[in-house]
Amino acid sequence: MRIVLTFLMLALAFVAFPTGVQAQKMQEREEDFLRSKPLIGDHLPDVTVYSPDGTPSKTGDLRGHYTVLTFGCLT
Amino acid sequence: MYRDYGPKEVKFFFIYKSLAHPELAGNYVQPFTLSERLDHARQAERQLGASIPWIVDAMDNRLKHALGDRPNSEFIVNPEGIIIRKRAWSDPAQVRKDLEELVGPVDRITREEDVQLKLELPPKATAAVRIMPRLNRPKMQPIMMEPQIEPEGPPFFAKLRAEADAGLLKDGTGKLYLGFHLDPFHNAHWNNLTEPLSFRIETVEGVTIDKWEAAAPKVSVASDADPREFMLKMAAWPGDKPLRLTVSYFACVGEESCYTVTQEYVLHRERDIDGGGARGEGAGYWESEEFAQRMLASDKDKDGKLAKSEATGIIAPQFSKLDRNKDGFLDLDELEVFSDWLNYHHQPGVPSSESETTQ
Repeated sequence: MRIVLTFLMLALAFVAFPTGVQAQKMQEREEDFLRSKPLIGDHLPDVTVYSPDGTPSKTGDLRGHYTVLTFGCLT
Repeated sequence: MYRDYGPKEVKFFFIYKSLAHPELAGNYVQPFTLSERLDHARQAERQLGASIPWIVDAMDNRLKHALGDRPNSEFIVNPEGIIIRKRAWSDPAQVRKDLEELVGPVDRITREEDVQLKLELPPKATAAVRIMPRLNRPKMQPIMMEPQIEPEGPPFFAKLRAEADAGLLKDGTGKLYLGFHLDPFHNAHWNNLTEPLSFRIETVEGVTIDKWEAAAPKVSVASDADPREFMLKMAAWPGDKPLRLTVSYFACVGEESCYTVTQEYVLHRERDIDGGGARGEGAGYWESEEFAQRMLASDKDKDGKLAKSEATGIIAPQFSKLDRNKDGFLDLDELEVFSDWLNYHHQPGVPSSESETTQ
């Protein structure tokens, strides 16, 4: 359970416990990120990725739907 | 959210990337091959238990680089393939608001308690751990390295983690950490009944190292799974002269299958932005259990949990948020969760903001 909680905490960390300085830092990071490429309005970069069974696909094919993409890993 | 908006034709994907924090719970280490990264992604599917599919970034981390190199960023793409939302940190509540705006609200919002996730734990260590003392290595950064993979060779049961301090990265003089960590996906343990792991670095003219070669200390138990770690002092390592390192070790999978392994790496004096920030005991971070036990030192009535009146220091102001089950006490699990959060933000442990890495 702990690793799962860890994962969730990583995802929710800033949301869960922002205090003054952290909240400000978070805000600055978000603003930096918004200014960095790709910008809102740009196409999603088209690169090869894989399904967990190893089947390749292209991110450029993620069309026809609204798609939510979230980065993560085991740690 | 997946349950609510999947039927509305919204697609959700997790993107599996390089590890943000090697050595965190599970003692995972960075994979060297795509096949190993796919193993990670399948383990993530099991551990998280979510139905949301994963897509896996290539080993050159092209998608991570193309999308801004953040460990937990989030994007919403419209049907034309255009990015319409982006956040450096995933924010599920905000995504729900976005989707309500984009495709409309749902009749009934699925709550966390409605979802019966089948969660799995990380694999257990293959042999005893905490046998070897760990090296402390706060503020060190991972460096670029190339494992010399031979298609017909044995897997990298042990994987090198190479880190440099600020001096070494900047001008070639400083400390180099070499840690050979068993990869839990290969299920191996050290065979301590024979010679311990040893490494050798090919000499480079002009460069000085206090140990061009060394062997790990002998271990008293027959097998264990602790990393074999070395801290080297180096001087005058030019940025354009990679080091060639050869490591030899004996590893066993189960009781019977033992391997004599010799493997090579090429090390570069260059920070690896995909290396993540290590979280091992030696890396200067809180161990969850240790942290929780320390916090329980203020448990005056010794009931094994903290009441609000007993909470002190950094715990006190966060008490109500930390009390996840709302029973008015912080138990060991809740304190351990908090330590993971503290680790993530590098406070109040040893590392400062200087030690932050791009993950």
